[in-house]
Order: sequence, then C-alpha cells, then structure tokens
Amino acid sequence: MIEASTAPGEVKLAVQEIGKTFHRRGGGSLTVLEDISFEVRAGEFFVIVGPSGCGKTTFLRIVQGLDAPSAGRIVLSGQPLHGPGADRGFVFQNDSLYPWRNVLRNVTFGAELQRKKRAANEKFARDIISLVGLNGFEGHYPHELSGGMRQRVNLARAFAVDPDILLMDEPFASLDALTREAMQQELVRIVAETAKTVLFITHQIDEAVMLADRIAVFGTRPGRLMRIIDVDLPRPRLLNVKRTPRFQELVDQVWTLIAQSHGLEAEGRDP
Amino acid sequence: MSPQRFPERVMDTVTPKRPQPASPAQRISTWHRLWHAVKRPRVRRSLISLIVVIAGWEIVGRYVLTNPLFFVPLSDVILALIRLWGTGELQTHIAASFRAIGYGMALSIVFGIAFGIVMGASRTVADYTEVYVNALYAMPLVAIAPLLILWLGIGVASKVGVVFLISVFPILISTTSGVRNVDKHYLDVARAFGATPVQIVGKVLVPAALPFVITGIRLAIGRAIVGVVVGELFGATAGLGFLIYTSGQTFDVPALFAGILCLAIAGVVLTWALQRVEMRLVRWRPAPLED
Ligand SMILES: Nc1ncnc2c1ncn2[C@@H]1O[C@H](COP(=O)(O)OP(=O)(O)O)[C@@H](O)[C@H]1O
Ligand SMILES: [Mg+2]
Repeated sequence: MIEASTAPGEVKLAVQEIGKTFHRRGGGSLTVLEDISFEVRAGEFFVIVGPSGCGKTTFLRIVQGLDAPSAGRIVLSGQPLHGPGADRGFVFQNDSLYPWRNVLRNVTFGAELQRKKRAANEKFARDIISLVGLNGFEGHYPHELSGGMRQRVNLARAFAVDPDILLMDEPFASLDALTREAMQQELVRIVAETAKTVLFITHQIDEAVMLADRIAVFGTRPGRLMRIIDVDLPRPRLLNVKRTPRFQELVDQVWTLIAQSHGLEAEGRDP
Repeated sequence: MSPQRFPERVMDTVTPKRPQPASPAQRISTWHRLWHAVKRPRVRRSLISLIVVIAGWEIVGRYVLTNPLFFVPLSDVILALIRLWGTGELQTHIAASFRAIGYGMALSIVFGIAFGIVMGASRTVADYTEVYVNALYAMPLVAIAPLLILWLGIGVASKVGVVFLISVFPILISTTSGVRNVDKHYLDVARAFGATPVQIVGKVLVPAALPFVITGIRLAIGRAIVGVVVGELFGATAGLGFLIYTSGQTFDVPALFAGILCLAIAGVVLTWALQRVEMRLVRWRPAPLED
C-alpha cells in the first residue's frame, strides 16, 4: 500500500555528530547529547534504549525538527533536514490527542495540515484506523477511549501522514504490562504491513530486544552512543521468545552497557 | 500463536453505540415528553423554585409590603406588561434594548476573541497592553457612560458603545488566559506535523481556548445587560432602561417592575441560548453527571 522511496537496506536516516547543549538563563549550561552518529536503514526497526534522563526525548525532538541541534546534522532520504515536516511521523510519549477532535479527525490531522484532498485523506485514515484495530470508533472522542485505544490513535495519526520514517518516543510507557505487550505485537504487525522505517525510543530493555532489528544503547551524562547491537532473534517474535536463552543474553548485554555508563558493576544486578 | 496475544483487544473492542431507529410505539405525545422532562430532577427543582418565587412575590406584594409606591404584587406587574404590550410600547423598548445588546455583544465577541488570541499568543503585545486592559476592566462603567454619550450622542450608537466597552473585557481576558493555558503538547503535535502559524491558531489555539471563551461570553452577557440599562438611563429615547427610568419618574411602579422583569428574563434567555451553543461546540467534553 505504501511505496518506500529508498530500497530496503539503503540508508534512510543518517545522524551525523549530533550534540545538544542547553543554556540556562542565569548562565551555566547542560550538555545533554554529545557526538551521536549512526545510520538507520530503510525498512529497519531501530531502537534507542537508555536510562531515563539520558536525552532520548531531546534527541528524537531534534530528529523531528522540534528543537535545533547545537552540533551536527540529520539527513533523511538524502536530504539534510531543517525544521519539522510531515516526512516524519511522530508518536508522542503522552498520547496528546486533541480532545475536541474525534478519532477520525485526530488521525486526519497531519494530512489536513498538508491541504491534501479531504476525501482521499479520509479514506487513507480509515484504512489506518482499521489497521490499528479501531474499526467502528471513528466517531468517538478521546475521553471515551481507554489508554490502550488512545495510544492506537496516536500511532494511527503518525502513520496517516504516510511518512518516510516513524519516530516513537516511549509510546507504551504509560500502559499497563498486558496492554503494552499486546501493543508491541500490534506495532510489529502494522510496521510489517506498511513496510515503514521506525526509530523507536524506550527505557525498557526487554521492549527494545523484543522489537528491534538493531539497538543503539545510550549512556548518560552526557547522553552518548555506547554501542549498536544486532538483534538476531528470528521473526515473528511471540511472547515466548522472552524465555529463550538468546533473548536473556541480549538483555544482559544491553544492561551491562548501561550499567557501565553509570559506573556500576554488572554483577550487582538482581536477576 | 499464543492465546494471550491480544489480551487488550478483548477488553477494548466494545461494539460502538449506534442510535436505534425509533419504533412507532416510542413516538410519544408532546404531553408525555413534557411530563418526562418534569420528572427529571433538574427541571423539577427549577419549576418548584419558580412556583415558590411567583407565589412569594404575590403574597408579599398583597399582604406584606402593601404600599404601592414601594412594591407591587406580580399580578399587577403582569397587568402592566399586558397594557404596555397593547400600546406597542413594550415591543419598542425590548427591540431597542436588544438591538443595542446584540450589536454591542457581536462587536465584543469578535474583537475580544481576536485581540485575546493576539495577547495570549504574543508576550510582547501583552506587555504593551495588559495594564490598560486591566484598568478598563476594573473601571466602573458609570464613570465612562456619560463620556460615551457626549461623544456618540443619544441613541443606539452610544448604547452599543457602552455595551461593547463593558462586555468586551471579560471575553478578552478569558480568551487570553485560555490561549496561555493551552497544553504545550498540543502545540508540539501541530508543529511536528508541520503546521503553519495560521493553522496553529485556527486548529489548536482557538478550539483549545473555546471553553474559556464561552466562560468569558457568559460573564459578558450579564455585564451587557447592565451596560444597556446604564446607557438608557443616561441618554436614550427608548429601551427597557428608559422604561424603568420614566416609570420611576411617574411613580408607575408596576411598569417599573415590568421593565425589571423583562431584563431578568433577557438574562435567563441569553444564558440559556449560550448554553445551547456551548453544548454544540464543546460536545467533545465528558458529559456532566446527572443524578
Ligand atoms: N528545554 C530544556 N532545557 C533545559 N534542559 C532540558 C530541556 N529539555 C531537556 N532537558 C534536560 O535534558 C536531560 C534529558 O532529558 P530528556 O531528553 O527528556 O531525557 P529522556 O527522554 O531520556 O528521559 C534532562 O536532564 C533534562 O532535564
Ligand atoms: Mg523521554
């Protein structure tokens, strides 16, 4: 249904030496991100994992164009990025749906801003809504939906602009464990069906391993890229993959890296 | 596939509500519907209080405050209303007052919302203007009304001016705070999807601030009614304020109360109309619970 403008395996997003320093009003500054470079390939599910406060949100906002980097640049599909745009679909950490718009109109919001034909928007949006499993809820308002359903709308809104890449900032962090696991499975299915490239952020290591083709582990103070890990678990990954030894190995590998960045001993971890 | 794959679907996927077509048996008579309305607690309580007030007014006017220069029973007021309606005076006064309220409020709503958005969105504009807005908001209207009448003359223009001046500030101030209180995330979403500044105003700021705007208009209605009366007391040849003033001069107490009653009804009707508009515009908010 959606054509990728880049062939699978080619570089979709290039992050080049990104740094970010916040300057306080009364003088003094805080370096949140330092010298981050990596590449995301077309069709890849790329996950950034790191402890809370390591600058993940700041980084993703830079990619989206909501904040400007202090150093470096972002290249998407060969074009250097300046400012926000609908070539990226952003899934926010809190769902931030517009309460005065029903499900359908929340999902069409991005396309509406591009002044595309309304009828075409609506048809595409309805397809996306059924893709996220919300058939029949098009006329409902956000306050009438559960947390899981609102997060589905949040996903649908990002998919509905048919972006080159999806940027997701801990979209499932506020959901209960059961719902979160169901949503992870759903997300993988939707991404596979739409053949999208995803840059996904989380602080939960098992979520990262469950979803990712590759994981970038971020260290903290300042936020920096520690290492990129290939996740060689076969797909489809169902819940029982979590009980396999390879899954546990990968989780431990990520955990050890994060612990190092905190200056902790990996042995000190409770199982 | 593991059976626990979509636990949330099971909980979430409730069949959406659809309105049922009315069967012939459900098409009930107007009386029946009225009776059902009366059985609702909110309607019933309003009705009971109305009956108590009407009866109390009549009894107090007839047996307690019997001096007719002081207070008159409701029945005398209604007779005065009928008399004034018969001569056509009442219609003239109501029309004159409502015209001034209508024009004045329309100006207030347009200007108050437009400038409120600018003040809410731009700190610079607010810094330059906020102090005057607050000064004028707190200014007792009677202090400006004579001046407006000097400037605009006796007639509809000065009344519209007074109504506008007194009713614009609640709308302006609450629109401003509505815009300032817009959730920062709502703006981020719009920017992330590439919204232009104009789109941000139209698609985020205005709808997000709408509940505040309506609160401002509600306050403005009460003040507009005060404004039109003040305008008509100082200089007018028609209007409910004029009716009240001249009736007072001629000791026609029933006609005086008739004017007051019309103003009270105007307030109730306008507030009710606003509630209807609000229900349509702010349908997305969770409905208040009714016991
Ligand atoms: N606008 C800002 N001004 C100053 N400091 C900020 C700003 N935004 C984020 N920070 C700081 O940057 C750090 C990283 O924040 P964030 O990107 O939200 O981390 P994460 O998403 O990984 O939890 C935090 O210490 C936070 O206080
Ligand atoms: Mg964050």
